[in-house]
Amino acid sequence: MNNHPRILPHNHVARRWFLQQCGIGLGGVAMASMSQETAKAASLSDDPLAPKQPHFPARAKNVILLFMGGGPSQFELFDYKPTLEKLDGTLPPADLLKGYRAAFINPNSKLLGPKYPFAKHGESGAELSDQLPHLAKVVDDLCIIRSMKTDAFNHAPGQLLMSTGSQQFGRPSMGSWVTYGLGNESRNLPSYIVFNSGNKGPSAGSSNWSSGFLPTVHSGVEFRTSGDPVLYLSNPEGIDRQVQRSTLDAVNAINRRQLDLVGDPEIATRISSYEMAFRMQTSAPEAMDLNNEPAHVLEQYGAEPGKASFANNCLLARRLVQRGVRFVQLFHESWDQHGGLKNGIANNCKATDQACAALIADLKQQGMLDETLVIWGGEFGRTPMVQGGNDGRDHHPNSFSMWLAGGGIKPGITHGSTDELGFNVGEKPVHVHDLHATILHLLGFNHKQLTFRFQGRDYRLTDVHGEIVKEILA
Amino acid sequence: MSFRLLLAFGILISLKSSIQAKDIDFNRDIRPLLSDKCYFCHGPDEETREADLRLDQRGAAIEYGAIVPGKPSESLILERITSSDPDLKMPPPSSGKSLSEAEIETFRKWIENDAPYSEHWSFVPPQRPELPASPLKAELQNPIDHFIAAKLDENQLAFSPPADKETLLRRLSLDLIGLPPSPEEIAEFLSATDENAQDQVIERLLNSPHFGEHWGRWWLDAARYADSDGYEKDKQREVWFYRDWVINSLNENKPYNEFIIEQIAGDLLPQASQDEIVATGFLRNSMVNEEGGADPEQFRVEGMFDRMDAIGKAILGLTTQCAQCHTHKFDPITQTDYYRMYAALNDFHEAITTVYTPEQQEQRKSVLDQISQIKARIKQQHPDWKQQLENWADQTREHLVTWKTVTPTEVPYEGQKFRILEDGSVLSESYAPTKSNVELSQTLPAQEIRAVRLDLLTHPQLPHNGPGRSLYGTGALTEFEVHVAPASDPGKKTKVKFTRAFSNVNATRSALPAAFREKNADKDDRVTGPIEYAIDDDKKTAWTSDLDPGRRNENAYAVFMPETPINFDEDFVLTWKLAQLHGGWNSDDNQSYIFGRYRFSVTNGDLTETDPVPLAIRKLLSQPEDQLSDEQQETLFSYWRSINPEYSAENAEIEALWKSHPAPVSQLAVKTMKSHRKTHLMQRGDFLNPGNEVQPGAPDFLNPFQDTPAPDRLDFARWLVSKDSPTTARTIVNRIWQAYFGRGIVSTPEDLGSQSPPPSHPELLDWLAVELMEHNWELKHIHKLIVTSKTYQQSSIISPELLEKDPFNILLARGARFRVRSEVVRDIALTASGLLNRQIGGPSVYPPAPKFLFQPPASYGPKQWPLSSQTQQYRRSLYIHQYRSVPYPPLQVFDSPKGDASCVRRTRSNTPLQALVMLNEPQFVDFAKAFAKRILTECDIDDAERIQYAFQLAVSREADEEEVEILESLLKDIRQRIESGELSSQEINGNSTEVDQHSEAKELAAWSILARAILNLDETITRQ
Repeated sequence: MNNHPRILPHNHVARRWFLQQCGIGLGGVAMASMSQETAKAASLSDDPLAPKQPHFPARAKNVILLFMGGGPSQFELFDYKPTLEKLDGTLPPADLLKGYRAAFINPNSKLLGPKYPFAKHGESGAELSDQLPHLAKVVDDLCIIRSMKTDAFNHAPGQLLMSTGSQQFGRPSMGSWVTYGLGNESRNLPSYIVFNSGNKGPSAGSSNWSSGFLPTVHSGVEFRTSGDPVLYLSNPEGIDRQVQRSTLDAVNAINRRQLDLVGDPEIATRISSYEMAFRMQTSAPEAMDLNNEPAHVLEQYGAEPGKASFANNCLLARRLVQRGVRFVQLFHESWDQHGGLKNGIANNCKATDQACAALIADLKQQGMLDETLVIWGGEFGRTPMVQGGNDGRDHHPNSFSMWLAGGGIKPGITHGSTDELGFNVGEKPVHVHDLHATILHLLGFNHKQLTFRFQGRDYRLTDVHGEIVKEILA
Repeated sequence: MSFRLLLAFGILISLKSSIQAKDIDFNRDIRPLLSDKCYFCHGPDEETREADLRLDQRGAAIEYGAIVPGKPSESLILERITSSDPDLKMPPPSSGKSLSEAEIETFRKWIENDAPYSEHWSFVPPQRPELPASPLKAELQNPIDHFIAAKLDENQLAFSPPADKETLLRRLSLDLIGLPPSPEEIAEFLSATDENAQDQVIERLLNSPHFGEHWGRWWLDAARYADSDGYEKDKQREVWFYRDWVINSLNENKPYNEFIIEQIAGDLLPQASQDEIVATGFLRNSMVNEEGGADPEQFRVEGMFDRMDAIGKAILGLTTQCAQCHTHKFDPITQTDYYRMYAALNDFHEAITTVYTPEQQEQRKSVLDQISQIKARIKQQHPDWKQQLENWADQTREHLVTWKTVTPTEVPYEGQKFRILEDGSVLSESYAPTKSNVELSQTLPAQEIRAVRLDLLTHPQLPHNGPGRSLYGTGALTEFEVHVAPASDPGKKTKVKFTRAFSNVNATRSALPAAFREKNADKDDRVTGPIEYAIDDDKKTAWTSDLDPGRRNENAYAVFMPETPINFDEDFVLTWKLAQLHGGWNSDDNQSYIFGRYRFSVTNGDLTETDPVPLAIRKLLSQPEDQLSDEQQETLFSYWRSINPEYSAENAEIEALWKSHPAPVSQLAVKTMKSHRKTHLMQRGDFLNPGNEVQPGAPDFLNPFQDTPAPDRLDFARWLVSKDSPTTARTIVNRIWQAYFGRGIVSTPEDLGSQSPPPSHPELLDWLAVELMEHNWELKHIHKLIVTSKTYQQSSIISPELLEKDPFNILLARGARFRVRSEVVRDIALTASGLLNRQIGGPSVYPPAPKFLFQPPASYGPKQWPLSSQTQQYRRSLYIHQYRSVPYPPLQVFDSPKGDASCVRRTRSNTPLQALVMLNEPQFVDFAKAFAKRILTECDIDDAERIQYAFQLAVSREADEEEVEILESLLKDIRQRIESGELSSQEINGNSTEVDQHSEAKELAAWSILARAILNLDETITRQ
């Protein structure tokens, strides 16, 4: 039956393509849409993950985002409010509550003073609660923003806004925008990696690291600290590396013949994808193996090889960034203290404070902090009003705290403030969109020009908003 | 700039230059420039308009002096776009946009030629164009080819030769039914001498029940289908009836206009059938946010926006999203237009309706018929029944007391939200806690209360119509309490002691259904039963509204009598406490067992045991008997019969019959509201910021609504698929085209508006659109036209010249070649391995998946993934249960959409994660083993023949010598390593097969590795 001409000798174009493609990046997009073809021609290459230059020289090359899911209480961590302490048990002023919508509580609930004492630390004199003893030691490397605000007061929309710049599902996440703009430096690992720890998973699920309408190759890839670091990374039972190699050799040989026959460059991409998968089978476990870290580093983080913990994830984040991973996002979902505030904060700080501080110190020690931007924060803050008896706070979008460090951020400052009750932002408000604009700026992008044409419109991370917060730039 | 993009530009420029040799066409050459570079500030949106100049209307542009027809040098627009002064230069450098020399030249020529405007092509209804003449006429197979040939000719290109027969058969099979052909089908087709053989294959595939599955999945993308709610909880929902409706509709070749009308307004069709109501599931595929504290109206509005978006992308081919917040910057959709369309849709409850499978319908009918027979028997055996009933009615009427509805004014602030409806009832919305202690209160004037009454009421937005919020629409009341206190001293509360309780629903004592058990299910000794359980001070017992599946979704009531009447001679606060503690442990799953809608009332009347009659019966008793309809008489009879001790034997029979009533399935659907909501324009898209009220209607630039005084959702649906809709038919034929060629005639199927790139073959698009409408909107007609065209049947081999000239295959001088969709990737492996279970429809299935995915912190809360039986695991991929927040990884990495928004164009990536799935994912590994077993069993000649057979199964062709050699050498290598003990056949085979003979085990292991290699070939997952 094989009586038709199938052979098409020496397909030069495809060959050339193969040579260009082979071994570069994580893979390619099969068929760029016309909008991609035309709209962003200048910034796109064949391989969407080929390393690219941003718009201008970047201060930060990598990002580690410590996403504290659930909405950490600023009042027990970063935003000391003596007046709130004084007015504990009294009702908030009525005009403050005008038009205010709360998720769970009657807005007209009594004020709740901070549960923990605060003290000044470091040369900068930044105020931290006593639940952050480790962070206190690196506080001069941090820029604490007390004047964050957001638009959402439910978890999933709030997390989406923080992760993607929109409360709506289906938009690309920050990490996806960054790899879209910068490509991948690593030949052996994905450019955008995600970890989860804490009591729950993130409320907005995998949409927090989705590529949205960007090519799916820009999606965050979930890594785990126990079992396979990446899904399906291990060979099946009975298949050793040599079998895997000889299988790939056979598959690639036939694919290469097919490439010669039909001339579709996509086959070349397939071959390079298989090769990268093969490399990843060793590079990912290597990157994820904490046994190679010296004992004092493990101790510094509070990390234990083989365990699933936020501490391990922080150390892994550093190791991955070291290996060329652009964007590492750590979710720690356990900050939703509607009740059990005092213990909840204490437990969360025990689980995260040491590792956060260690990450800063370690990055600094390794000379990586300058080009690695570390961001800590949740999707919103919590109410100065009490929820339940006297040990809980509801969701609060009007004001919350975050901190940033490294990657071109001015160290040792506290930016912005809230009013006396911590209800609204006082000075220097920073909206989530402003934060995004600033992060992109540090990575070398004009946030208005990092765009993608979709549905007839040039979309961007900051939508139609975003002002760079110049005061926090180094 | 990359090589590939240079090529892409090359072809665009070459296309364009051939165009410029002729006249400048406003739509093709000027509009995209104006739209992309100018309209943002000088377009339809008044709010962002700069300098009061709009360029989207010729008159306005001329009046302003921006354009002086025929005189480029006097036209302000040209002066500004050519200016070297950055302050004057247009578009302003800060916008990041610029015009090329060629584009400026296009503007100049256009103004020189009098600057004619014309309407955007897609806003003018399509007319059937003449078939272009072609020198190749004799060779063309159908009208499609004329359009393609003409363009090829223009670009000095020609068709590629036809694909060889095996390739064509596999292509047809994968394109039409999403499954590869069987070796028998291949053999038959290759050996056929009949010149109609190809047509017969096409007919067979078009009529295959698998056609609806493959193309059903294609529509489900647009319909943003998923089996869960999305957002944080992402709870499971039952929507597979909708999925099956789509499959069946496409199999039946339901005309596209009807297909759409049913999905938008099936419930409003006369005597709507279950299927037509199920079709409205399209509107309900929106996500639902029931996270604690979510404002129900906020997320209902989000759902409305999502519906508008889905209708825009999937049906109209227009992006409407922009106009939520402001008038569209580029297209002439005003914000008012947007909300007029929204208003047409804004008339329904988000219903969770009850549906029955055909078998269940039969079973239900049998139960109801038998009950009717018994009732008839009673009447027959008691000829005086009418008189007795009247006597009873008279007596009962005499003793009816007056109940006063008490509407709570103080409702709790918590994650669950309470809405007070007009009739004073309380509706529980948003978060549905598994357990709930609800306290509601109000201040009442001085009075005596001799009994209180709790009515459980149905509501369309409750599961199965309610009255509870459990997945069965039921609820359970652990304890009912009333507390009273003088208004002057509300702290002085006393608990009312109830000594008697009645209800029309008294289930027998039973253990909790599995869904509501505590984590340690065996130790959970909570029970439900009759109404006494609500006042027995026992937390273990609860009164349930769940009588049985046939009767649990009806109104119910309970009356509670205090030991001594409640009596206040001053205002007092009465607090209702509903302890509903019989739900399950996981608040992120469907384990709620609370009531959804209830109403309280009180009476000072003297209650006798004959009084507490159901609401419906009270209503009937209050009407003159002779005015009751037959149906109402029957209702009255049924009730009276049920409480009449004389008929206890018959009643027992009927009770027994009810127990055999099937437990139905639910389906998210819509139910029209009795009085429609008012719709206001939302300023900045904010539902808290309503603007003017708007009435249902169509945007001015589209076809008008049919002339009706008060258009409703059905009118809207009909408008969408009206023959004078300019975009509807074009949108769907474009999307079908995209599925076959990897790229639409308009490459942005979601947007045919003014920002869309010009169509590659505009006349063909119009021709196909008209052809669809003139063939009764039958989609299979378009499918058939496409697959019988020469264009479709070309070889997809890419010559270097072609790749250079047209890398994206826009002109179609060759067949399309691309990796198949995620579902087909898996289905091909399933088919080759012989494991495929071809059952069509039914509940979604759960193939093996890593357990940790469904547990925190990978998922927000613990999720269910009850592994399906082995045969069910091998169902086609479209049946795999789809959680929005935790997509099934093997499909996700091959670009399956998550269902969080309508998707009419999947991306098609090619990544290492895909390689890992194909090589290592346990199901794919199983497929390889079964594939090996199949090869060994079904072909026993020699290695080379077996390899040939495997090739047939996987890629539907013969392997050539070199391919056989490559695989033989792999086989040899593996055999040696097994023989030497380096590899263990036992480990490789695992326990998935029953092979006892040692040598067979070794062969199976070696072939498993070979089979795995073949399943991993690029060609296996490519349609070429």
